Amino acid sequence: MDSVNSPFNANIYGTQSLFSPMAVTTSGQSNLSHGPLTPSVPTPGAPTPVAVATPVVATPSAATPMPPTPQIPSVPAHSINASTPQLSVAPATPATPAVESSGIRPQLQNIVCTVSLGVKLDLKKIALKARNAEYNPKRFAAVIMRIRDPRTTALIFSSGKMVCTGAKSEDSAKLAARKYARIIQKLGFEAKFLDFKIQNMVGSCDVRFPIRLEGLVLTHQQFSSYEPELFPGLIYRMVKPRIVLLIFVSGKVVLTGNLKLFYYAESIKFLVCVYRGESP
Amino acid sequence: MSYQMYRKTTLGNTLQESLDDLITMNQITPNLALKVLQQFDRAINSALSQRVRNRTNFKGHLNTYRFCDNVWTFVLDDVEFKDAMIENGNIERLKIVACDAKSSQGGKYLF
Repeated sequence: MDSVNSPFNANIYGTQSLFSPMAVTTSGQSNLSHGPLTPSVPTPGAPTPVAVATPVVATPSAATPMPPTPQIPSVPAHSINASTPQLSVAPATPATPAVESSGIRPQLQNIVCTVSLGVKLDLKKIALKARNAEYNPKRFAAVIMRIRDPRTTALIFSSGKMVCTGAKSEDSAKLAARKYARIIQKLGFEAKFLDFKIQNMVGSCDVRFPIRLEGLVLTHQQFSSYEPELFPGLIYRMVKPRIVLLIFVSGKVVLTGNLKLFYYAESIKFLVCVYRGESP
Repeated sequence: MSYQMYRKTTLGNTLQESLDDLITMNQITPNLALKVLQQFDRAINSALSQRVRNRTNFKGHLNTYRFCDNVWTFVLDDVEFKDAMIENGNIERLKIVACDAKSSQGGKYLF
């Protein structure tokens, strides 16, 4: 029961159950309140993938046992079922209407990617011929070049390796890297486009409720470090997916790591769960 | 050795033309002309850094920049000079070459 209902165990990619104690309390409580009336209470041993869970309960009958009636008008129809215990996994959680209506989606803020052009480069020639380039070998052994669309900055090294930063999506990161490679090509180098890799992504979001960091650091000692005298945010090093979250009292969260967008969403769901388990 | 970029100014150009004329008329040697030009470099660099008090403000949109060999190059679009004697309003394109003033005394801006 514990493992099945714990929010993160329910997902398909085998996330560790980092915080089953919390989740157990959550689901346990809601089970008590709703009892067998709700058709969607998952049977133990049948872990439902998070995404699939939503439509299961979308019957009007599910809405009847919902205690906080005043909430209903503000809640979009598809998320009414969120009052069922198992769905506490989804970002649309009943405890926080604000979150529910928005459906937290983290905003990507920055993407760092690397690519190899597969050819040695004469940086001075690049700096002299290309536009919007800086080259100061005394300070830094790379040409710093910028383009306006997608608004990014590239560091181009004489080895032919390139680092491209500042893109806001995976596609635009790749597009930007290709544009830089094309610029180098036009300057007369035999530039190729090898080993493109996204190295890091940074996202941010707002869960729209305050988070008690002291409580979180106590219950998640293993993963959290919170030193308010050094830094006002709690640093949460999640193991799987391997990302780091900076969690602030205000409810603002910054996520970093090399991961797919899907994982971002999952970690926010996780956060909501953590919060709800912590102070129901 | 002072910056030679001011040879491209109106003053520098006319000086060079006159020197060329004098050389073709065999009145001075090319060597002397070179010396004159070097003196011109020194003089205009120190004059611009020490004697000129005029300032002008301008505003424009950065089109291109470059930094190489300690020289900044900017190309500005649609530049508006605030307090200047430029008649026809905005200038379509302005190129600024800026050198390090410390490495050689008096390197200022060349428009």
